[in-house]
Amino acid sequence: MSTLAGCVPGGGGGGGDAEGPITIGHLAPLQNPLGVGSKRTANMAVDQISENGGIMDEEVDVIHADTEGNPGTAESEAERLVIEEEVDVMVGTFVSEVTQAIMDFVAQEGVPLIVTGSAAPSTVTEFIGDDYDQYKNFFRTGPINSNFQAEAMVNYVNHLNELHGWDSFALLADDAAWCQPFVDTLPGALDEEGYDLALNQSLNINIDDFSPVINDVVESDADAVIRFFAHINASPFLVERAQRELTFGIEGIHVTGMHPAYAQLTEGAATYETTSQSGGGGTTDITEETLPFVEAYRERFADSDPPVGHPMYMGFNTYDAINVYKEAVERGGTWDYANDLDGIVEAMLETDHTGVAGQIQLYGQDAEYPHDAMETRDDEGTISNFPITQWQPQGALECVYPEQHATAEHMEPTW
Amino acid sequence: MLSGLPAVLINAALISALYALIAIGFTMIFGVGGVLNLAHGALLMAGAYVYLLLARDTISVPVFESMTLHPLLAFPLAVVIVAVLSYLLYAVIVQFVEDNPVVTFLATIVVALAATEVVLHYAGSATHTYTLIPDGMLPSTIDIGPVDGILTVDVVGFVVSWISIGLLWVYVTKTDSGRAIRATSMTERGAQLTGVNVHAVRARTWLVAGALAGIGGVFLGASTSATPNMWLHPLSLAFIIVVIGGIGSIKGSIVAAYLIGFLQTGVGEYLGQNFRGILSLVLLVIVLFVLPQGLFGREFDHE
Repeated sequence: MSTLAGCVPGGGGGGGDAEGPITIGHLAPLQNPLGVGSKRTANMAVDQISENGGIMDEEVDVIHADTEGNPGTAESEAERLVIEEEVDVMVGTFVSEVTQAIMDFVAQEGVPLIVTGSAAPSTVTEFIGDDYDQYKNFFRTGPINSNFQAEAMVNYVNHLNELHGWDSFALLADDAAWCQPFVDTLPGALDEEGYDLALNQSLNINIDDFSPVINDVVESDADAVIRFFAHINASPFLVERAQRELTFGIEGIHVTGMHPAYAQLTEGAATYETTSQSGGGGTTDITEETLPFVEAYRERFADSDPPVGHPMYMGFNTYDAINVYKEAVERGGTWDYANDLDGIVEAMLETDHTGVAGQIQLYGQDAEYPHDAMETRDDEGTISNFPITQWQPQGALECVYPEQHATAEHMEPTW
Repeated sequence: MLSGLPAVLINAALISALYALIAIGFTMIFGVGGVLNLAHGALLMAGAYVYLLLARDTISVPVFESMTLHPLLAFPLAVVIVAVLSYLLYAVIVQFVEDNPVVTFLATIVVALAATEVVLHYAGSATHTYTLIPDGMLPSTIDIGPVDGILTVDVVGFVVSWISIGLLWVYVTKTDSGRAIRATSMTERGAQLTGVNVHAVRARTWLVAGALAGIGGVFLGASTSATPNMWLHPLSLAFIIVVIGGIGSIKGSIVAAYLIGFLQTGVGEYLGQNFRGILSLVLLVIVLFVLPQGLFGREFDHE
């Protein structure tokens, strides 16, 4: 601890004097609808906290910084937030490569970082998992990391198999850090369940011609594509599939497809595609907090630029992260990371928060994923904080999995 | 089912036609004025977004409310608007700086970046897609020989590409106004000596190149999607194609567009999608070393 304290310049933030206001730094790609939603929910959380008397009677501010999804920009913005703006905590970051780029700086400064967008397990295992004392100011309150997502995906595939009899699948993924678990573990896991892996491709994230990929899928005769696209914008893929009236399912994760107006933006080409997303696209009460939160978002930003209906997944997680931080500070009685980081860490690890994206608890020091969001499981051990939504005909967004949160049954594509 | 060589060849031909549309305008402007128009990609993007503005109601800008025109009306209108934008780019900015290549270079890249910001401001970074073929007019896919499930919009793009190239050919070989463009691109001084008004020729070239970019942009947006960064890749593609084809040569651009289109599709199919772009760059380097003037280029002599 003392070694960390020595590194903090001028007792930055609430550091030295422990006087308010408490300043939250929010890092996100702000030109992306995902980042816009996250920025708005950060403002919502801060406004609500302020209306209710702040944190430990101190005022709360938020400062937004645009990472542009670029590791270099993120580094300089993180430095600006910590050294110039003297923030007391940082939340956000979407691209895993961006998160990992600021990790060493953040560790050196000791300022708590709560990740709300990026899912790569290596962000935990290769940093705090490797050197706990160095990186213990790191937390991820959501989404669950992609190892858990891969496990949840297998459960979901079982569900699809029961529903439609699907048993052969084509796996497509971004060639990026967050997808490594899917590429590494899903083929074996699907094989174990007795499914046929008809195709397995990692795609260059700058891909612009999907025809060959679609042809490969058609040739493989897979019942469904399971694709993991956070970087790749698969809209042209969907348009071509719709125009060719192909009937394989499109499952997995597609961040672009989480835009609340996506069905409209693609003229309905998105119909039948599903994506997992924290918060379930605001369609269902993941917890009792979810729908009131979505309602408040809708009301407040009805006349703003898109995304209007609901934030994308990162917005749910950012809102939760700020509330988790508030509770932890109040529990531990300190936000003074320069002098009492251990107090903050201890309080953070006691988190049991009913958030808008789910019940939030964090793994402790000795877990496989220290300080990472715990997956929640139902009675049968199935991961339940991994809701899947589907665009259904007429642009309706429905939650189709897990069953306790589902608002509609998953639909097989028919044209 | 789509499989094997026929599908690859047809896909390659379709995408090459689009590449040709993307590259010709770029090469014409370089040929006539010696201007590297880095805003060429922005003109392509303008094609897609102007079409969106005219045909779909997902974005709106002040003054001009978005409308939902029939595609057959929206398409030519979008092309005309982009042609005018291209002309204005020349008339308002480029003509005053074109003698200085560095300033022109900077001015056009600034225009491209500004265009990105404008699109981001009014349309956001969300992806917009649109269908160009009106419902019920043509089926959305067609079969060609053993290959089925080819997108009609790509086939229409191919046909429109060749019609445009044909019209351009007639224009630059059969009409005085077009021949003046060709003459100027061969030798500016020669053209001047034969009474060609070089300034008017340049303005006309920007108009024609803009129209081609507009056509290319509308089809590009339809076959991929409209995003604020959609211009970047086509611009680099246009560069590669134009260098390989021979800077300033329309014929060279067409041949090179097909070369690159077939190369990329073939490599993507048989070596993997991740290698798609690499071989084009290798080819570019080889051409630069072995045939620096390109396939159909001449040694340049801009005095």
